Amino acid sequence: MESIDSKCTPLKHEFDACFTRWYSEKFLQGDKTNECEEAFKKYQTCLRAALKEKGLTKMIGEARPTVGSAFADDDGDDGGSKGSK
Amino acid sequence: MVKFFQQRHSFDYSWGTVSYAFLNRYPNPFATHVLTADTIEHRLDPDTGALHITRLLRKTNSVPRWARSIMRGNDAFILEDVVVDGQSGTLVSRTRNITHTRLLKVEEKQTLTADPRDAGRTLCKNETSIVSNIGYGMNSRIESFSLSRFSENLAKSRKGMLYVLDLAQRRGLFRQRLLIDRRAEQQ
Repeated sequence: MESIDSKCTPLKHEFDACFTRWYSEKFLQGDKTNECEEAFKKYQTCLRAALKEKGLTKMIGEARPTVGSAFADDDGDDGGSKGSK
Repeated sequence: MVKFFQQRHSFDYSWGTVSYAFLNRYPNPFATHVLTADTIEHRLDPDTGALHITRLLRKTNSVPRWARSIMRGNDAFILEDVVVDGQSGTLVSRTRNITHTRLLKVEEKQTLTADPRDAGRTLCKNETSIVSNIGYGMNSRIESFSLSRFSENLAKSRKGMLYVLDLAQRRGLFRQRLLIDRRAEQQ
């Protein structure tokens, strides 16, 4: 499956491959060590820049005011609208 | 206008296989309207051990002709929150549209649980809520459209799941066979 930005697709595929393997071989067997953190971080760096570029960060942030949200912390093109709900 | 739909069915596969297929269900030939899928959150809850995943999906906006004038032709964005509890064998997925929300809010909850009486079966519950505030006498049209769309979509997503399940199982068998071959070679 393609990423929203084709620039990020290779990094997404790397993470997806790691995740799929980890899910079936580790997580489902009860092993809770998160092995795909590094691949995820690389992918997120690309993805977050792409979402910001497309002006989607604010929309996503507002749609999910959940605690621990990946968009609740740092990068803001959201102009401080976070938590304004 | 608020409308609720619910449907239950089951898959003749173990919960492990079904949850795996669910998380890997895109792309498949029955979901060509899903254009891109990105994971924006992926973490293990240190207290419960549950896996939390959030995805952003981009879909083609296939609305009926009569609604096209009020819904611009932009793609629709959907957020999906998934929580997987490996211990109890439960996967709960919640999706909602984050574009066109002034016209229509569609929330879908899917629950996949291991059948307590049969390890080779997984129970699936779909709940959908549709909220529309358009007015202008459009609500009954939206209602009947969304009802037909609901059953259409469910049938499609079920076909997609079965397709991915079949693939997953074949791949699993393939891997097992490889391991057996390798073991045989080593002996």
